[in-house]
Amino acid sequence: MLNLKLKYKRRGAYTEERKERTEHKVIVDAPLSDTMIYPLNMHIGKPAEPIVEVGDHVKMGQLIAEKQGFVSANIYASVSGTVEAIKDMPSMHGPNRAIVIQNDFKDTPAPLLVEPNQHLTPQEKLALVEKAGIVGMGGATFPTHVKLSPPKEKQIDTLIINGAECETYSTADHRLMIESADDIIAGVKELLSLFPIKQTYIAIETNVHDSVEALKRAIGDDTRIKIKELETLYPQGAEKQLIKTLVNREVPSAGLPLDVHTIVANVSTVRAVYLAIQKGLPLLDRVTTLTGEPIKDPQNFRVRIGTPIQVLIDASGGFVSKTGKMLHGGPMMGKPITSGQVPITKGTSVVTFLPKEEVKEDERTPCIKCAECLNVCPVSLQPILISNAYEKGDIDEAERLGAMDCIDCGNCSFICPANIPLLDNIRQAKTEIRARKEKA
Amino acid sequence: MVNLQDMTLKMTASPHLKSPKKTDWIMKQVVIALLFPLAAAIYFFGIKSLFMVIVGILSSVLFEYAYQKIKDQPVRINDYSAVITGMLLGLSVPVTAPYWSIVVGSFFAIVIIKQLPGGIGRNMFNPAVGARVMLKVFFSPWITNWVTPGRGTDVVSTATPLESIGHFSRTVGEDVPGLWDLFLGVNLGGNIGETSKAMILLAFIYLVVRGVINMKIPLLYVITVAVISSIYGGYDTTYMMTHVLSGTLVFAAVFMATDYTSGALTPGGQTIFAIGAGVLTIGIRILFDFPGGVGFAILIMNALSPLIDKYLAPRIYGHKKRPKVSLS
Repeated sequence: MLNLKLKYKRRGAYTEERKERTEHKVIVDAPLSDTMIYPLNMHIGKPAEPIVEVGDHVKMGQLIAEKQGFVSANIYASVSGTVEAIKDMPSMHGPNRAIVIQNDFKDTPAPLLVEPNQHLTPQEKLALVEKAGIVGMGGATFPTHVKLSPPKEKQIDTLIINGAECETYSTADHRLMIESADDIIAGVKELLSLFPIKQTYIAIETNVHDSVEALKRAIGDDTRIKIKELETLYPQGAEKQLIKTLVNREVPSAGLPLDVHTIVANVSTVRAVYLAIQKGLPLLDRVTTLTGEPIKDPQNFRVRIGTPIQVLIDASGGFVSKTGKMLHGGPMMGKPITSGQVPITKGTSVVTFLPKEEVKEDERTPCIKCAECLNVCPVSLQPILISNAYEKGDIDEAERLGAMDCIDCGNCSFICPANIPLLDNIRQAKTEIRARKEKA
Repeated sequence: MVNLQDMTLKMTASPHLKSPKKTDWIMKQVVIALLFPLAAAIYFFGIKSLFMVIVGILSSVLFEYAYQKIKDQPVRINDYSAVITGMLLGLSVPVTAPYWSIVVGSFFAIVIIKQLPGGIGRNMFNPAVGARVMLKVFFSPWITNWVTPGRGTDVVSTATPLESIGHFSRTVGEDVPGLWDLFLGVNLGGNIGETSKAMILLAFIYLVVRGVINMKIPLLYVITVAVISSIYGGYDTTYMMTHVLSGTLVFAAVFMATDYTSGALTPGGQTIFAIGAGVLTIGIRILFDFPGGVGFAILIMNALSPLIDKYLAPRIYGHKKRPKVSLS
């Protein structure tokens, strides 16, 4: 799509859209894998602790690892089978402790969390969300029950449902909004029953207009829920940006959306909330896009949590050309990985394969002070100044310039005409600032 | 079929895609934009205009190459920035200017202003503007012999409109060309690239659509001049428009005030830079019997921009105050 790119202060960058490979592809069930891998740290917060032992037989939907403390999440077996090992396995964060289950392909079900379609109190519903192991499925993997537990003095009045899938190749949420609009809206209504919410928005980008029809049909005549179409701009779907754009509130530095009386939840997460509360189901599967130019037949998969990426690669027909990078996530924020054993986890919305020719290191040239990094920074940092301060070893200056407010979106490094590793430097500065704080 | 195991996968951190618009792409866009005023120069002042620009480009690139070779630095002439400086210089003098004056200007711009502080991105002042002002101050007889366009040697010396409207004058003299002529550059003396505002406007539109320049800077600059001259001239539209369309203003607003390196970095700083340049330009024009206000105005704002940026650092999302920045 051609954008008329005017140069002024924006809330993001016009990164290239590459969704056409999968945006019209119906979600398909991924093949079942014989080996399933469940990293215990697949969410933000404390890793879960295994409650099964090697050799145990587990049923599909059985709790296998228990959350530790408040900011943590339960993990369930997404197949039935035998616990083969509890050991370090490849994950998006490098080798990590994981439960490995040998699938018996019987899908023997465990009892549901609760009988379906019961009348539940808000407390019971919240407890179910916590029990079901639901985390932010847009990629952040922040435990959802924490988001839904505001301290007493912080009344929630705004709910934002995030369907603004701004990463270059991602289409999983887009397809989910088209194909499971009813489930999503049912989930929204469950959230509305928990708080005295005054305004509810479903945020999507204008490039996924077809999902609006589906959502509108599902909403029907419920006037509480409004759809907002936003400019296709990266990182439109970042939590803090959505809040600013939709309700003109700013989350205070180092704060949470709760601080401005707002809850932001991704569409996939909302669907999981619906499945937990009304169907009694823990989080067992999700929709993940596997895509990129080197992939023969990119797909949107409904995939069991724990399925190794290699299974999806095979189901997509393998490679037609050489890939230079495999990313857990999209090209702007994804983590590079090298092993096909890395599993799909709760936060895996997309796995991206970049063509070899696009993965190159361009020579760094002098900064020409074009100010583009300032123009595209969604939180109004001056990335080049933070980068300069870091390179001069002036960590105090980097902190004064707001390094800790960086949201890691990658726009500055993306746009820089001089190939300065701005985000790398800002990340390093953040690491040093944190290290100093811990020492102090 | 290719297997994952057979491929070498890179592990560098995000973002994994980069915008294809690199420094040389940006500079090439400016070169393309400068072809508009160059075409007008050739049309109005003859083929010598082209040779003047070629001399500017060759001497600028050569000085940059020689300097970087001598200092054993990486040679960066491929970034096209020296080409721009050369083109600006060639277009910034009247058709009567001797070629050597352009070469002297190139030396001053490239070696003194740009390379001595450290090369591209390090210069406080805009090289072309600095060289222009230097030429004007020290080589005035040669480069301020304004002539109206004529074919061949049939040129007529002329006063510039600025000498009529400047220096406390509040009215437009009889000898000043009409606004339409000022806009198109017809029968107008001046620096060869600056007479046709119509072509500069096209270049402006090109640069804005390409996302190379921030349109706020030229617009605020020109509007500031327009507003102050309008008030000073008793809301005389002709007087105001004569100020806007005369001299280097429009050319400098589009091609020189928008220079990244010597301009302001922050959004607020860019606004102050543009308005400040406008105030200084019209101030110099009115107060002094000296038509070259634009050059000095931009140089003064160049010098002030680091300070302006320091105080106008953008407020970060989620903070109440602007961050405190030390002056680097």
